[in-house]
Amino acid sequence: MELVHATPFVIELKNASKIYRSFPGRSVTAVEEFSLQIAEGEVLGIAGPNGAGKSTLLSLLLGYLRPTGGSVLINGMAPRSFVEKNGIGYLSELMTINANWKARDALTRFATLAAVPRADVPGRVNAVMEELGITEHQDKKIKALSKGNLQRLGVAQALLRDEQALILDEPTHGLDPVWTQRFRSIIEGLRKPNRTIIIASHNLDELQRLADRVAIIDRGRLQRLVQTGYDQATDAGGTYRISVVGGAPHVKEMFPTALDTGEGEFELSFSSIIELNAAIAKLIGGGVLVSGVVPARSVLEQQFREAVGETS
Amino acid sequence: MRENLTRYAYWQFRDFIRERGIALLLVGGLLGFMLIAPMRAMMGGNIDAVNARRVLLLALPEIGPISAFIVFNGLISTDRKMGYYRFLFSKPVAIPAYYAQHFTVYFVGFMTVFAILFGVFAITVRPISPVGALAYWALVYLSLGGIAFFISSLFRYDWPILAAVFLSSVLANAVWAGRGGWRMVVRDMLPPLHKLSPAMTDLINFETVDLTSVAWLLGYSAFFFLAGLVVLWRRPIG
Repeated sequence: MELVHATPFVIELKNASKIYRSFPGRSVTAVEEFSLQIAEGEVLGIAGPNGAGKSTLLSLLLGYLRPTGGSVLINGMAPRSFVEKNGIGYLSELMTINANWKARDALTRFATLAAVPRADVPGRVNAVMEELGITEHQDKKIKALSKGNLQRLGVAQALLRDEQALILDEPTHGLDPVWTQRFRSIIEGLRKPNRTIIIASHNLDELQRLADRVAIIDRGRLQRLVQTGYDQATDAGGTYRISVVGGAPHVKEMFPTALDTGEGEFELSFSSIIELNAAIAKLIGGGVLVSGVVPARSVLEQQFREAVGETS
Repeated sequence: MRENLTRYAYWQFRDFIRERGIALLLVGGLLGFMLIAPMRAMMGGNIDAVNARRVLLLALPEIGPISAFIVFNGLISTDRKMGYYRFLFSKPVAIPAYYAQHFTVYFVGFMTVFAILFGVFAITVRPISPVGALAYWALVYLSLGGIAFFISSLFRYDWPILAAVFLSSVLANAVWAGRGGWRMVVRDMLPPLHKLSPAMTDLINFETVDLTSVAWLLGYSAFFFLAGLVVLWRRPIG
C-alpha cells in the first residue's frame, strides 16, 4: 500500500492508531494501524465517509491528539514539535474562530502568531483578503459573515505564511461554484516542490482534480491509496457514458452490451483507452453522431465505492 | 519566549479588557458601591485615613475572590471547549508558553482594573496609599491563580470545579479549624483562602506581614501553576 518516493519524506505515519477511551471502560477506535508516507511536493487527498476517522487523522498530524499506538512523524519530528517550530497552514472543518472578532483582526492575530514579521502583517493580511475576495467584509464580525465568507476567511488564514505543509479539512465546504473553482486555482498555485498539501474532502471530483494520490479511509483504516489522473502504464479502462445525437439505434446493434440510459446516452465498459477509442471510431464509421464521451464514474469514485463497501 | 508570542500579548490584553475587564469594573464598582456607600453615610461623609482603611478592609474580601473567579473562569478551558485551539495552535506556538503568557497578561489586566477601582475609591471616599491594597489584590490573583490555572488545564467545564474547590476550602477551614490528623492534611491540600484575610489586614494597615503565610499562599499557587504547565505540555489539547 505504500509507495516509494524519490524525494525525501515529509510526513510519515507508521501503524498509527487512536483509540478514544471514556468512562466506564468504553472505547472507540477512530484510527487503526494507519501507515502512509507523504512526500514533499505532493498533494494528498483524504476521502472517506462520515466518521471514517479523517478529522482524527488530521488532529494526529497537527499534534492535537497523540496516537495511542504507532507513530506520526513530520520531518522526523513529533507533530507538535514540528508545528511549534515551523507552523502548519491549517483549515479546520469546524470554523472555530471567536465570533466577536472582526475578520481583519482575526487575520492580523493569526498572522502575528504565525510569525509574519510585524512590518509585513498589514500587507500580508491585505493580500490574502484580496486573494479570497473578503476585503469588503474585513470590518464585519465573524458572527456576521456568511458561511461562504467564513470559509474563505478560514482558507485565508491558512495562507498567511509560506508554510511547508498545508492541511485543509473540507476546504470548499460552503463555497459557491465560482469560489470552488477559484479555490482549485489557488491550490494549483500553491503547488511547490518543497510543499506538502493534504486535503480532506467528501468531494471526490475535487480530490480527483487536485490530488496526486487519494487515501481512502473507512472505519479508521487506510482502505486504498489511489493514484489520480490517467496513468498509461496502468490503464485499466472503465465504464464510459457516450452521448449520441444521431444513429442511436445503431449503438445497440454494434455493441449489444451497451446500456441505454435514455435520452441518447449509453454506458459502455472498456478494458483500456485504446479499446474505447476503437469503439468510438467504429460508432462514427457506422453513422452514429457522437456528441460526448465522459467516464460514467471516475476511477476514484469507483475505487471509493469498492473501498467503503458500496456496490451501487 | 518567541517574538511572535510576545507580540500577541497585545491581543490577549485586548481580549481581557473586552471579555473580563468591563465585567470586573461593573461587578467591582457595584459591589464596592453597595458596601461602601452605607458606611460612608454612617460616617457622615467625612472619612479620615484610618476609617478609609477600615472601609477597604471590609470591602476588599468581598470583591477580591469574586473578581478572581470572574477572571479565572475558562482561562484555558474556553479555547478547548469552543475549539479555538484549532486555529491558534496550528501556528508556531508552544501551548504552555501561550497560556503562561495569557496568565501573566490577565494579571496585568486584573491589576489595571483594580487601579481604576482604587482611583474611584480615592476620589469618592478618601485618597490613601494604594500600596497595601494593590499588594493584597496582587496576592489574590497570584495565590488563587495557580489552582485555577491547573483546573482549567484539566477540565473543559472548570468553573463548577473551581467553585467547589474554593467552597470546600472555606468549609474545611470553618469546620476543621485547629483540628489535626487527616482533616489537617485535607485542609492544607485545599487553596489557603483562610490565609488571605490576615495577610490583607497586615498589608493595608502597614503592619508586619506574616511571611510564612504569604510564602504558603504563593508556593501553593506556584506548585499548581507549574502542574498546569506540565498538563499542557504532556497532554494533547484536542
